[in-house]
Amino acid sequence: MFGFIRPVKPELRVKEADRFQQIYCGLCHAIRARYGRFYTLFLSYDMTFFALVVGCGEEDTAPPCRKRCDAHPLTRRPCAQTDAALELAADVSVLLTYHKFRDSLADEKGPKRALAWLLCHLGRRGYERARARLPEADGEMVQALDDLQQLERAGCDSMDRAADASARLTAAAVPHTGDARERVLRQMFYHIGRWIYLLDAAQDVAEDMEQDNYNPVVLRYGLRTPDLTEIKQPLERTLERSLADICMAYDLLDMGRDADLIRNIIFLGMPLVTKQVLDGTYQTNGGWGKHGSL
Amino acid sequence: MDPYKVLGVTPQTSDDDVKRAYRELARKYHPDNYINNPLADLAEARMKEINEAYDMIMNERAGKSSSGASGGQQYGGQQQYGGSQQQRAYSGANASLYSQVRQAINQGNLGMAEALLQRANGRDAEWFYLMGTVYYRKGWYDEAARAYTQACQMDPSNMEYRTALNNLNMSGGYGGYRPMQEANLCDFCVQLAVCNCCLNACCNAGC
Repeated sequence: MFGFIRPVKPELRVKEADRFQQIYCGLCHAIRARYGRFYTLFLSYDMTFFALVVGCGEEDTAPPCRKRCDAHPLTRRPCAQTDAALELAADVSVLLTYHKFRDSLADEKGPKRALAWLLCHLGRRGYERARARLPEADGEMVQALDDLQQLERAGCDSMDRAADASARLTAAAVPHTGDARERVLRQMFYHIGRWIYLLDAAQDVAEDMEQDNYNPVVLRYGLRTPDLTEIKQPLERTLERSLADICMAYDLLDMGRDADLIRNIIFLGMPLVTKQVLDGTYQTNGGWGKHGSL
Repeated sequence: MDPYKVLGVTPQTSDDDVKRAYRELARKYHPDNYINNPLADLAEARMKEINEAYDMIMNERAGKSSSGASGGQQYGGQQQYGGSQQQRAYSGANASLYSQVRQAINQGNLGMAEALLQRANGRDAEWFYLMGTVYYRKGWYDEAARAYTQACQMDPSNMEYRTALNNLNMSGGYGGYRPMQEANLCDFCVQLAVCNCCLNACCNAGC
């Protein structure tokens, strides 16, 4: 949702970097085939990671196919063939993206609000289709988002309580299979959701203070200036606990494929981004100029 | 079960390397790392599998070469969970309530433990400790740290509270992950390099 989840490229092997790009492109094609062009505009590395993790139980990797797309109309780029994991990731992307629009519509003011309204309107049909495919997951997400908005309106000063609602929203993306794998993935995505929410709050401290928006980090520590140095240590500690839980869930996951690539993202990428956000050195990548490349 | 696959080794791997692979896995899945983790039972099952695989390989090899190499010491097998079982004798106003809370926590029924705690008369150190443990199990680490700190302040001599707070700050026990340490290591290198430059500059100026 926010693009915090990404591999550390210098530590990747060439085939792993290729694979990441193929999954990214494969997911984009899967979304386009199922929901049309609109939702491909909101594709993120976070969802690429989700596609990798839900598919990592499979033993075999199908050879990539070559396809053209809007961003690369002249060359056929290698992309992962659509399988069950990519289809699920496509459906979940649409649900999460739409709920993000809805959240912006509730939170934002002025022109951003008008934009959120427009996006909600344009995304409605795709969302209805995704909801029909994953009714249970959507129900959980709607509930979690309602809880989150209620907490935000009430000005909840507990970081964990607000993060819990957001974490339940991400955990809802994991399908109900009733086995140990589901438990491991739920635990993993709960803490990924918690980590993203708190990190995003830390990243937005200055902006939220300026615009007087709800920010759990500001309220929890009673910040008066947007300076994070004072609270860096306790914040890092609580984020690190979630990262450790994600690592431990990874250890318990039966891996058939992409183990090293996922390992890079969890063990190197996520700690690095945490450090960058707390230092104030974080730079978003992606955007039009760097579409689909790391 | 293929014991070689479990340990990630082959029948050609030397005894020493098998032992090394086993130690590495045992460190990773050690029950101490999974205290208060909702996946503790899965880690325990994995640990059992690893112990069995190691025993099978070592026994098989001992039989072949008749050198008498036995299983060696094992990690974490039948070990009791360190601070994870909540037991204590109580007296005072909330005595029976607190034992019920501990029981609920042990059974993994966090919703009930939390509801019971809301009914307590007054909030003493024990209340904050138990609430902290409920938060800890839920993965609400900031609230857990606040509650444990409060418990330690109200009763500084209590070792149980202190251990719990230390455990929380240490990211689990022995072998637990500190994902940020690796990322911060680079910082340290930079600092060293900077110090080095300063030293060089000073020395050069002096000479």
